[in-house]
Amino acid sequence: MIELRHLTKRFGDRLAVENLDLTVQRGEIYGLLGHNGAGKSTAIGMMLGQVWPTNGEVRVCGHDVTTRRQRALEKVGAIFEAPVFYDYLTGRQNLEMLASYTAPVVPDRLGEIIDWVGLSGREHTKVRTYSHGMRARLAIAQALLPQPELLILDEPGSGLDPEGIHEMRHTILRLRREMGLTILLSSHLLNEVEQLCARIAVLNQGRKVFEGAIAEATGRQNWLRLRVGDFAAAVKSLLAERLIADHRDGRLITLIDGICSDQIVRRLVEQGMPVFEITPEAETLENFYLGLTKNA
Amino acid sequence: MFLLQFRNELWKLFGKKRTYIGFGAFFVAQILMCVFLRYSEAQRDLAALLEGNGYLAENYISALTVAVYMLIPQILLLMPLYTTLVGGDMVAKEAEDGTLRMILSRPVSRVRLLFLKWLTGVLFCFLLVLALGFVAAAIARVWFPWRDMFVWIPELVFSVLDAGEGLKLYALSQVFLATNAVVAFSIAFMFSCFNMKPAAATILALSVLFLSLVMDNIPFFERYKEWFLPHHFRCWLHVFAQPTPWARIWESQCILVGVALTVFIIGAAAFQMRDIKS
Repeated sequence: MIELRHLTKRFGDRLAVENLDLTVQRGEIYGLLGHNGAGKSTAIGMMLGQVWPTNGEVRVCGHDVTTRRQRALEKVGAIFEAPVFYDYLTGRQNLEMLASYTAPVVPDRLGEIIDWVGLSGREHTKVRTYSHGMRARLAIAQALLPQPELLILDEPGSGLDPEGIHEMRHTILRLRREMGLTILLSSHLLNEVEQLCARIAVLNQGRKVFEGAIAEATGRQNWLRLRVGDFAAAVKSLLAERLIADHRDGRLITLIDGICSDQIVRRLVEQGMPVFEITPEAETLENFYLGLTKNA
Repeated sequence: MFLLQFRNELWKLFGKKRTYIGFGAFFVAQILMCVFLRYSEAQRDLAALLEGNGYLAENYISALTVAVYMLIPQILLLMPLYTTLVGGDMVAKEAEDGTLRMILSRPVSRVRLLFLKWLTGVLFCFLLVLALGFVAAAIARVWFPWRDMFVWIPELVFSVLDAGEGLKLYALSQVFLATNAVVAFSIAFMFSCFNMKPAAATILALSVLFLSLVMDNIPFFERYKEWFLPHHFRCWLHVFAQPTPWARIWESQCILVGVALTVFIIGAAAFQMRDIKS
């Protein structure tokens, strides 16, 4: 559904996106991670034909966005952080207006979508009276009106309270389950991405530093939690014996290929260091992400 | 689709309260000017001018004469202010608010969107001018009688007309006034298409117009007056001249329409090339 090839965007001297390759397959929820200024929104802007690439190619739904933008975006819905509407118009007027830039919408379809997002009864009220959560629902409604196959969500949880984030997460899952949409989700909320996405890409300073399945990210290194009297001395000894590959946080170790945890325990006990605990530590996406961006 | 999108742009423009600032301000200004003309020495000076030229003042100090007199300063100062306010807002405010990004995530071409917005602004200009002309005549009629008309025309001395002919030409002059409004609006609209704040677009457009006005009034630039917009803006007053200098009026109209289209094209080119970011 989305293909980026050698995509580069330069704003003056600043390189916002550098040589980015990325593929989002039909039907998947794909996460785009990165801190502020990493290039996520610029990349999304290029996917929607709002930002012109300096180099490279962007294809959405099989069409080149730069040369055939209108065809490429026919089946695309988008939601941006802190959704903005015409406050002085009603929710329904906003929907009619935004939908008309894709195709006219029949009233039944409009009613159906309003009902789906749970705004029935409030559609004739001016948007200035809407809460943040209601605006988020209106944003989903406007994205769904053109019957999209691809949904691009740029920080959709931004500014929402925990209840709103929970609701947004369930809505995204419903969208995929009930409508079979392909979803590109850009977010800071690593926990949300971990729960929603099958595959992710991590951007740092405009460059892609990781692309792969969530399982690949969280299961990349098998960390063991080791509780001993003197962690520093234990690590020194194990490194000298070439039994561990790495250590961190004063409690975690990772083994060299072919080494089992019983060998670690035996070695430490032989050296007179009692072992109180040795247990597998699940890698979180947060740790993986922080490790990646720190190293980069 | 085009009409639907045009209706939407009208919703957006006329749904905003600030769109009506111009209408309200003109209404208040006209009442104040009319009362001032009615009860101040200004009326005596006008009578002296008429009688000095051999006309009976009481026949010509009429609702239509006063309406035209009230329009002159408003067209010169207030109308550019309100049309550039709307023009400066049109694209830049949407870019600033973020609604432009929402629209441009849809399969609509930038040029089409811009043309719709410009057309909406042109309609606003016509409505503003028609309301201005109608209200000026209506308010003047409250304090002044319905009699023959006297108009002082820059470059052409003055003209006297009977009430019926005067009303016809007054209505026609509104069409040419609307062209002036469209030019002022289009200049602000062009700046609005660049990456800048709405207020900056309005101020830049007003600067262009006022600079042009200042240059037009400097005697040393007399030979270059055709290059300045106010020279062409004045063609609405030439409608009242007898005989009507149609060649001069159409020349100015063509230049004004040309300026409006040129600035639209410049704005569209800038808008097409720029990146729309949050």
